[in-house]
Amino acid sequence: MSIARDLDIILAHGPELSASGIDYYKLGLWAAGLPKTRILALNPALPREELARRLRAFLYHGPKHRVLLAALEPQRRALNIIRLLLDEIGINPEFLGVLDLQEALGYLDPKTCSLKAETLIRMAAIMLTRAEPIATQELTVPSRVLVYGDSFAAIKSAVDLADQEYSVLLGFPGPTLHPLVPGVALTQALGEELRQLAAQAQAHPAIRLLPQARILAVEGSAGNFQVRLKTPEEVLEEQVGAMILAPELELRPGDAIGAPASHPRVLTQTRLEEILAAPEEAGDLLGTGDAPLQVAFLGPDSHPLALRRALETAKKFLSRDNCQVLLFIRDAKVGAPGLEADLEEAASSGLIVVKLPGLPALSLENDRPRLRFFDPVMHQEESLACDLLVLAEVYGPGAANAGLIGILNLWPSPPGFLQGDNVRNLPVITNRRGIYVAGPARAAMELDQALAEADAAVSEVHQLLGRGRATAPQGRAVIDRGRCVLCLTCQRLCPHGAVSWDNRAIINELACQGCGICASQCPNEAIQIRNFTDDQVAAAMENLDPRLTPKIIAFLCQNSAWEAYLAAVKMHQAVLPPGFTPLRMPCAGKIDIDYLLKAFTHGADAVLVLGCHPDNCRSQQGNAHALFRVERAQVMLEEAGVDPRRLVFRTLAANAPQDFLAAVRHLADLLEGLKAA
Amino acid sequence: MEDYNKFSAVILGGGIAGITAALELARLGHDVALVEKTPFFGGRAAQLCCKATDACQKCGACLVEGRLTALFQEPRISLYAQTELLESSRTNGFFQLRLKQQPRVINPERCVDCGLCQDECPAAAQGAIITTGVTRNHPRYAVNPAACLFFLDGSCRVCQQICPPTARAIDLDQQEEIIDLEAGAVIVATGYRPADPACRPHYGYGRHPQVISGAELEERLRYGQGLAGSDEEIPRRVAFIQCVGSRDKEHAYCSQVCCAYTLRLARLLKHRQPEAEITTFYMDLQNIGRDAPRFQREALREIKVVRALPGDLRATADGSLRLRYLQEESAAAVEADFDLVVLSVGIGPGPDNAALASLLQAELTPAGFFQAASREQPSQTSRPGLFLAGTASGPRDIAGCITQALATARQASQYVKEL
Ligand SMILES: Cc1cc2nc3c(=O)[nH]c(=O)nc-3n(C[C@H](O)[C@H](O)[C@H](O)COP(=O)(O)OP(=O)(O)OC[C@H]3O[C@@H](n4cnc5c(N)ncnc54)[C@H](O)[C@@H]3O)c2cc1C
Ligand code: SF4
Ligand code: SF4
Ligand code: SF4
Repeated sequence: MSIARDLDIILAHGPELSASGIDYYKLGLWAAGLPKTRILALNPALPREELARRLRAFLYHGPKHRVLLAALEPQRRALNIIRLLLDEIGINPEFLGVLDLQEALGYLDPKTCSLKAETLIRMAAIMLTRAEPIATQELTVPSRVLVYGDSFAAIKSAVDLADQEYSVLLGFPGPTLHPLVPGVALTQALGEELRQLAAQAQAHPAIRLLPQARILAVEGSAGNFQVRLKTPEEVLEEQVGAMILAPELELRPGDAIGAPASHPRVLTQTRLEEILAAPEEAGDLLGTGDAPLQVAFLGPDSHPLALRRALETAKKFLSRDNCQVLLFIRDAKVGAPGLEADLEEAASSGLIVVKLPGLPALSLENDRPRLRFFDPVMHQEESLACDLLVLAEVYGPGAANAGLIGILNLWPSPPGFLQGDNVRNLPVITNRRGIYVAGPARAAMELDQALAEADAAVSEVHQLLGRGRATAPQGRAVIDRGRCVLCLTCQRLCPHGAVSWDNRAIINELACQGCGICASQCPNEAIQIRNFTDDQVAAAMENLDPRLTPKIIAFLCQNSAWEAYLAAVKMHQAVLPPGFTPLRMPCAGKIDIDYLLKAFTHGADAVLVLGCHPDNCRSQQGNAHALFRVERAQVMLEEAGVDPRRLVFRTLAANAPQDFLAAVRHLADLLEGLKAA
Repeated sequence: MEDYNKFSAVILGGGIAGITAALELARLGHDVALVEKTPFFGGRAAQLCCKATDACQKCGACLVEGRLTALFQEPRISLYAQTELLESSRTNGFFQLRLKQQPRVINPERCVDCGLCQDECPAAAQGAIITTGVTRNHPRYAVNPAACLFFLDGSCRVCQQICPPTARAIDLDQQEEIIDLEAGAVIVATGYRPADPACRPHYGYGRHPQVISGAELEERLRYGQGLAGSDEEIPRRVAFIQCVGSRDKEHAYCSQVCCAYTLRLARLLKHRQPEAEITTFYMDLQNIGRDAPRFQREALREIKVVRALPGDLRATADGSLRLRYLQEESAAAVEADFDLVVLSVGIGPGPDNAALASLLQAELTPAGFFQAASREQPSQTSRPGLFLAGTASGPRDIAGCITQALATARQASQYVKEL
């Protein structure tokens, strides 16, 4: 039986369905004729009280029933009904199916429109009557958080969390807290607010400082991490609910000159700042005042922060008489607030900016560093003796990051930082729930952005841990302990580090993101993702309407393809082949190779698998798993005598309905061609 | 003040920054109002194209979709479209805002988004009925009283008559509404205006159809109209010219997004049409993406970059466009011909900034953006309770808007709790 249980269908009709060529009265009659269903036609424009009255009268079974709401644009037009059902009548969200009939409206022939609307309703009914509620569970979790690093982002995170009644471990590599203000001279005194922030962290009763701490190992997952930390005195075992990582940036020599020449007149930016802060120790390095001084800054072009820092120091020389200051860069990295104006101002007070495709060659002559380069403006070889040559430094990732990536099971990332550059992680998320990254943990950035990220990370922690009472779904991803043979395929494949084991594999539902990658790869079919079960997919595929052709079954990742599909059917003049059947997947990684093969045995003419673009998968590799399975299935299809071109894999983005339509068109054309041949 | 609708915060501007701030405030338990001037939510980022080639290029444009879906489902957020600020005052620390909502001619409960009204409107070309490609909006059509003939002189009622009799969604006699809101905090997220591509007249924007702006290219690609804007032959030689409306006397700032979108778009074009030859003229290439050196290395394998801004542009006899520039290596003037020239427009201050600033007693920067309290506090203004998010206060990319809007929301939440 295709409709497995009792179902209440609400056809939110208004006048619009008839306006688009569907006779809602007939559609209602048809739906009423389905087994085990009851139907209510309801105009969503009625006043709220009236809607509530009619809904209550109709849904006398109470919230246990499954309810399918079919409408045009239901999320906008029938929003009142949805809210009444969820908030006042208390239907479990998993028991409420919301179906947009839009896809049925594009056909010229009203008969096809009706058939299609019926199919959409039937498919939704099949899925929904096999749905199970997902409960929420409240978990007691430690309201203790590990903040690691001594950047201002780390300090701010620690203080904010402590203010919100979390107990905070603040671990950092050095003997004292030593945060950096990026883009500013290391010697510059801190502003009042930052000083206060650092003082608060030192004195807060809810913050335990762990100087010279190193993270040795981390076990467990969100809500329950066991962290082993090494300090000079001891090795600590601590249980924390979550962590925020914000290790400070490190200054490294830039690539300006192969080997830094060791010569008193060749300085790093840092050394120069130290000298300027204590000029009495500088000897005659900074000139005697009357004699002209030639200063060259070499290569602060890795990042706007480097340029900002060089300009700050350059200004000090520009304000002196008799001082010529040059700035050698490949590109002026002015892509930061105020920097273009700063550079212009420096130039107008005498800074000579020399932009070169590569940086000049350095030699030492007569105890002076000498630069040789081809001047693009004068168009000639130049040679320049300097009194001071300042080598730029690069703001790079903390040296300990590389080790942390492995210990924490994080995805590889732009060189040396702790977060992959998948945009779905923005701003502070990692592949592991409960581990957040802020500021310098993810990139070199301005202080204000780093502090904003600390805000965002604290929000995430609070959302997850709720001061010790976390809410997680219950029963969304479940392992059948009777089937599990502890092969730990799931544990290896889970991109979110949510699987652990005792004598069977266990999913931590607070850490699990429901992608289903484990479920489709488990060799014993021991894992089901509730409401994306194998059962539901099979039932849907068994019930394709033979009158609607060509039969194209599409497995759509809900994070990209499903959104693009919804957008596409709303676009002007977009009409899908009548037999197009979309199946929503939690992630392309959930698409089992079985689904692909079964689709053909159930009579599909073609199968379309659509996932996110590489590097854009929320679960990082779901799309790669899908591609791999499609390729395997293609080989098997070919062996079975089915043209493998009938199985198509494409990637697209949520905002690219055109790409969705192009993929469908490609398949439709292919089927035309195959039919003709 | 009985008849004021009360909110924790009112957010002006329904772009990615405003939406993110609204969702975050709702998540923190606040009731908020989101006020959008146009009939549609999503702002500029919702109109950008996906720039993925073989892999995602991390432009961030697709991040808007999920947030829009969430926006329309969030019960704590009240949406006011086609609404603008008229007056603002403050008593006991609370803002009283008076807003004007344009007549809501098309009834969302009845409209089926069939588009007949726009097809038949005699003044559609003047913008009397506008529509959006951001399909999460509904209705996706709106009557614009500033151009509609009925509102101008009462001479037309075509749309009302053409709207299918079963829908009858159009009522031209709807009146504009005055709405009074009270809020603890106000967040300005009114965004930006792309720089005017004609601000460098020597590039001939408006005179040559093959000279288009970056924003137009984004749109063409998003809506799949093809590069030429029609079915004509696909342009093979494409030039991008950087820093149009940035880094000059009137715009003394770097727009921060144009180098990035240019190189991403260029790679996308190259991916779609491997035979295309693409040249980018620039002053300085800004860092793109989180692994900038690698991105740059890869991009430069596919795209030619020239450090020079062309001095002039002329049409040649065969219809191509000739650019003249100073070659860096030889310091000689050289010429090159192109089929399409894209002007990489930057981020300019929003058109309403001056008016809004005076209504809200906020300050503007010399460039015309909203002035933040300090560089360390980009979400705050000198006026407690008045906050900023997104490009209203200066150039930012989508990721930057999201981060800042999250921080703004948290700070506004804190502020309101202490009121
Ligand atoms: C050609 C181009 C390409 C780009 N490509 C990229 C890219 O690939 N990646 C990237 O990260 N960024 C890109 N950007 C930048 C990106 O567009 C912005 O970062 C982002 O859209 C800014 O969002 P926002 O919310 O601040 O402003 P907006 O998107 O401008 O939204 C502001 C909203 O406020 C509304 N509004 C205006 N005035 C008022 C008022 N008075 N009252 C009420 N509402 C009002 C507007 O109608 C609008 O809906 C690009 C920019 C350009 C110009
Ligand atoms: S569903 Fe995804 S996140 Fe959850 S345990 Fe399986 S693989 Fe991990
Ligand atoms: S290129 Fe941009 S729009 Fe496309 S998937 Fe990547 S981030 Fe999203
Ligand atoms: S991002 Fe590039 S094109 Fe845009 S203003 Fe800055 S330097 Fe110019």
